[in-house]
Amino acid sequence: MIAETVKIINNAGLHTRPAATIVKLASRYKSEFFISKDGFRINGKSIIGVMTLAAENGSELHLTFDGPDEEKLAFDVIDFFKRGFDEL
Amino acid sequence: MLKFDDSSIIKKQNIDVGYFFEKVKSKFKLTLLSNDSGFQRSIKEQNLHRPGLALAGFVDLFSFSRVQIFGNTEMHYLAQLDDVQKLNSLDRIFQFDIPCIILTNNNQPYPGFIDLANSHNVPVFITPLSTTKLIYFVSDFLDDQFAPKVSVHGSFVDVYGVGILFTGKSGVGKSEVALDLIERGHRLVADDVIILTKKGEGILMGSGTDLVKHFMEIRGLGLINIEKMFGIRAIRFQKRLEVIVELEVWDEKGDYTRTGLDESTISMLDVEIPHIKLPILPGKNITVISEVISLHYLLKHYGYDAAKIFQDRLSQSIQKGKNPDIRRGVDYFEHDFE
Repeated sequence: MIAETVKIINNAGLHTRPAATIVKLASRYKSEFFISKDGFRINGKSIIGVMTLAAENGSELHLTFDGPDEEKLAFDVIDFFKRGFDEL
Repeated sequence: MLKFDDSSIIKKQNIDVGYFFEKVKSKFKLTLLSNDSGFQRSIKEQNLHRPGLALAGFVDLFSFSRVQIFGNTEMHYLAQLDDVQKLNSLDRIFQFDIPCIILTNNNQPYPGFIDLANSHNVPVFITPLSTTKLIYFVSDFLDDQFAPKVSVHGSFVDVYGVGILFTGKSGVGKSEVALDLIERGHRLVADDVIILTKKGEGILMGSGTDLVKHFMEIRGLGLINIEKMFGIRAIRFQKRLEVIVELEVWDEKGDYTRTGLDESTISMLDVEIPHIKLPILPGKNITVISEVISLHYLLKHYGYDAAKIFQDRLSQSIQKGKNPDIRRGVDYFEHDFE
């Protein structure tokens, strides 16, 4: 299992478009993917779940990846967070 | 992606006068006054022409290739000419290759009119309808005749009043979805071969073929007749195409919309039609989803777009800043533990 904490660095936060991108990205892999925010944990492959976080700029999310292709999945997702959802 | 190319577009270049007369005589109350020697003449345009100026002698830019309508104006103009002038005036028009002449308001032709028309092999019809009415009807008829048409493979069903065309590979279950929808009270327009006709700008009308009508093939069973089986409530003859639903076997790498914000369309005969790619999975009830697609389309049409509304809610929530806890939908249970 891989666990990593990431920060939201774009201004608009984790809004609809990046939420959809994350879910689509994650759905390509077999591994399980969860996001926790302030103790609230949701399935990273569920669009409503990811949007429910309503994560604003500066908030920290705890990501966990577990499964056969967890490394690739973790790399892709974390990279997307680091890129500020391509909105920097 | 749905396969669709321009080569399958059917567009009539012309219809002959005989065919036109056969199709519209009872609808527009046309009677043939001349002989039928000019029935092979062709109509190439959907527009009509009133040849007032040409009768008066001005034949520059005379739209002779259109169906010529003689209304009250034309007939009254001719009436005040003497016999020689009358025939000269008409003869000027017959020098051109006109398809046919229609006299409206039951305006009877003058002596010699029909003989002249016969000698030039131009059919002349008469109708009791007024010019305005006749022009309206005939334009509509010709517009339909010359409209671009295309035949597509799929199942076309009216679901809650929304015309949904199901497409997808053979054997993916289009007909079965249609059957399931019919069973739930929706109406079949056509199965397998659907003819789409462009009406005006931005409208595609779909219908079945004359031969097939509401017959349908169910694999393993053969041909069935939906109208006989489910009755008149289960069918309709035409419906505007509003949504294309492309069924496909679930593709792990497929790109399916998750929010509905990214709407896609397919261009058919230059009309943009909303397009939904629907993956099929075991346990997935395509019929119910189809009904939801219709209701969703109706809601959007009447101004409620769930994806946009949710997007706004989310943005507001993010903008409020710190969201230390994920808030429950209910603040306080107030001793209500039901």
